[in-house]
Amino acid sequence: MNLEFNETPIRTAKNYNINNIKLENIEIPENIQEFGGLKFLGDITDFEILEMNKFTEFKYGNGEFLENQIKDKSNKNININAINNENKELQLDYKFSKDNKNLIENIEINLKEKSNSTIILKYKSIDNTDAYQNSKIKVIANKEAKAHIIILNMLNNKSNNFIAIENVLEENADVKYTIIDFGGKNSVTNYYANLNGDNSNNSLNTIYLGNEEQVIDLNYIMECYGKKANAKMDVKGAIDGICKKHFKGTIDFKKGCKKAIGDEKEYCTILSDTAKSISLPVLLCTEEDVEGSHSSACGKIDQEELFYLMTRGLTKTEAQKLIIRAGFNEIIEDIENEKIKKEILEQIDMKLV
Amino acid sequence: MKTKLEEINRNIYDIKNKDEYDFKIKKGLTPEIIKEISKQKNDPEWMKDFRLKALEVYEKLELPTWGPDLSELNMDEIATYVRPKSKMTGNWDEVPEDIKNTFDKLGIPEAEKKSLAGVGAQYDSEVVYHSMKNELLEQGVIYTDMETAVREYPDLVKAHFMKCVPVYDHKFVALHGAVWSGGSFVYVPKGVKVEIPIQSYFRLNSPESGQFEHTLIIVDEGASLHFIEGCSAPKYNKVNLHAGCVELYVKDNAYLRYSTIENWSKNMLNLNTKKAIIGKNAKVDWVSGSFGSKISMLYPMSILNGEGAKTEYTGISFAGKGQNLDTGFKVVHNAPNTSSIVNSKSISKNGGTATYRALVRVNENAKNSKVSVDCESLMLDDISRSDTIPVNDIKTDEVEFSHEAKIGKISDKSIFYLMTRGLSEEDAKAMIVRGFAEPISKELPIEYAVEMNNLINLELEGAIG
Repeated sequence: MNLEFNETPIRTAKNYNINNIKLENIEIPENIQEFGGLKFLGDITDFEILEMNKFTEFKYGNGEFLENQIKDKSNKNININAINNENKELQLDYKFSKDNKNLIENIEINLKEKSNSTIILKYKSIDNTDAYQNSKIKVIANKEAKAHIIILNMLNNKSNNFIAIENVLEENADVKYTIIDFGGKNSVTNYYANLNGDNSNNSLNTIYLGNEEQVIDLNYIMECYGKKANAKMDVKGAIDGICKKHFKGTIDFKKGCKKAIGDEKEYCTILSDTAKSISLPVLLCTEEDVEGSHSSACGKIDQEELFYLMTRGLTKTEAQKLIIRAGFNEIIEDIENEKIKKEILEQIDMKLV
Repeated sequence: MKTKLEEINRNIYDIKNKDEYDFKIKKGLTPEIIKEISKQKNDPEWMKDFRLKALEVYEKLELPTWGPDLSELNMDEIATYVRPKSKMTGNWDEVPEDIKNTFDKLGIPEAEKKSLAGVGAQYDSEVVYHSMKNELLEQGVIYTDMETAVREYPDLVKAHFMKCVPVYDHKFVALHGAVWSGGSFVYVPKGVKVEIPIQSYFRLNSPESGQFEHTLIIVDEGASLHFIEGCSAPKYNKVNLHAGCVELYVKDNAYLRYSTIENWSKNMLNLNTKKAIIGKNAKVDWVSGSFGSKISMLYPMSILNGEGAKTEYTGISFAGKGQNLDTGFKVVHNAPNTSSIVNSKSISKNGGTATYRALVRVNENAKNSKVSVDCESLMLDDISRSDTIPVNDIKTDEVEFSHEAKIGKISDKSIFYLMTRGLSEEDAKAMIVRGFAEPISKELPIEYAVEMNNLINLELEGAIG
């Protein structure tokens, strides 16, 4: 099946090929079995975990077809309530295999007032099966709620990974995301945050790593409505092989969001002369009293750094790995779970061989 | 705190002459109208055929699905050809009085006397005055109106006309191909350095009409030129259309500086297309100021085809009440060791919308290329809008690419600092706005800096405080 989705909030010329993503011949699973590869880990008793019947439409999301698939055929519907004021960690550990190859899920995370939590969603292939993931994650951050949400895509390069995320942040809510986007033949993420409350704070740190024929399409949108809202995107990645990466980042200052601050950064390291990077860092502004900035850069690894490390006895691959890992370090160090951190570093090593 | 900046004083630009003409084509767009324009212009057969083919392309292409809303444009209400009641002349005294007065007030003959090597002045659809200094003529420089070029230099024109900007680029380029009239043709022979700028000024006086001038400049190997273009029109109640086309061929080791001040009236839809093809070790510098028009969609483009080719874009736009200025720059790196520098600024106030829309494309073979983009937007009130929409398409690892953008108001800290130095709040704000525009105005030649000063600095100085 051919799919066209992940539309940008503002259009550019058609021939720039960045208004949406067009994927051809995507195998859409018909008979959806139960997904038995999910385990809840961590401080489970500090969260309310319920089955859910609710379906809410997203403002942006991953397009009509994938939305409808979740509405009609989801095999996981989970409602998570974060209720504890101390920082508690919940991990949703998804393992994809030949027995659990299709996940169509609808998750709603409710961060109760003044709650503090870390929620990790780890999607990992444990065999060579071409898996299919279509996830929809809604996060409601009530007043003064604080959360660190970590999403790890560690699927194999034969799988399809489609994730749509929508956040609503009320007054003084502080939601930080870390997205580690390594896997999938096609990995498409639509991320939307509505910074509705005054002093609401949303930061999104992403690391992507693409090789072979991977297609990575990231469409991040943050809309500031509340006064002194703070929207921040920091996206770092490396692409190799004939990987195609599209980064579309939009910070939209809506009228009334006085003293809001928005900052968007993207840095892409290109490791081969056949990998392709397109970026569209957008700032939209209808409020005078704001500070908005974006920066985007790309290029190959600094040859002087590489040479220096090689004179110290490292091979070229080892030196490259070290430099790339160093670039990602700030984002990885922000994760408190040591096991997860270690797993991310192992994945980087594996992908950069 | 609100910044009180007045709208640009347009008095000299809004002078309306009576809509007198020698010939005005009926409104609308049909093959018969195109044939009539071609007949009126005494086109050679190949040009008539070209126009008709362009019309076919125009009818097939859709309006852009992005950018400002163009739904108010109704080609059935636009007359695409208006011939003024004047023949082209090289003697200023022969230009009819009312037309002459308009250009006098815009300072064109004055600028010619002081600091220009050549001048062209277009009124509605035709060039009414053209002159060039003898020294350039002796060096083999050609500077003439496009119609004369089509007749007298057919091989040169045929080889270049709408090859850099093909008619299928977009709908309004196809429209231009069908109805183009007037404009300038410049050829600078190999190795000739034109030390003093050449200027063409385009004035659209007739209401409910369009101006579709074609500018074709060829700077041959090792040559150099500074070309200046100015545009203005008085304001009418119904929309006027400007869909000009600029094609620049800058051959190996050549240099071209292309400066523009567009100050169309606020009923004008300005859908202009400008493109340069740049050869080995050649360079094109664009300096662009966009002030007038109701809607502008203007994105000059450099195609760096030769190894070591360079381009630099310095642009400013000022969007006031009722204006939607969608401007920016496009660059395509097609060869190794090419470089581009972009420096763009915009100011929006009083409900105006300023958009920076851009493309950087670095193709596979553009190894060791460098790109640096910097854009800054200043919002002067909370009823205006400012957007930054850049596309960066990088297809090689051997590249150094960086893009930075900032958006916001005048910093309270800067105002405070200047006030502690004895300036009033209004003077402090005016100084900051002038400082914001200064990197662009200093790039303009003196005679155009004067016009820019009319448009920003002097007006702001008079209006604030």
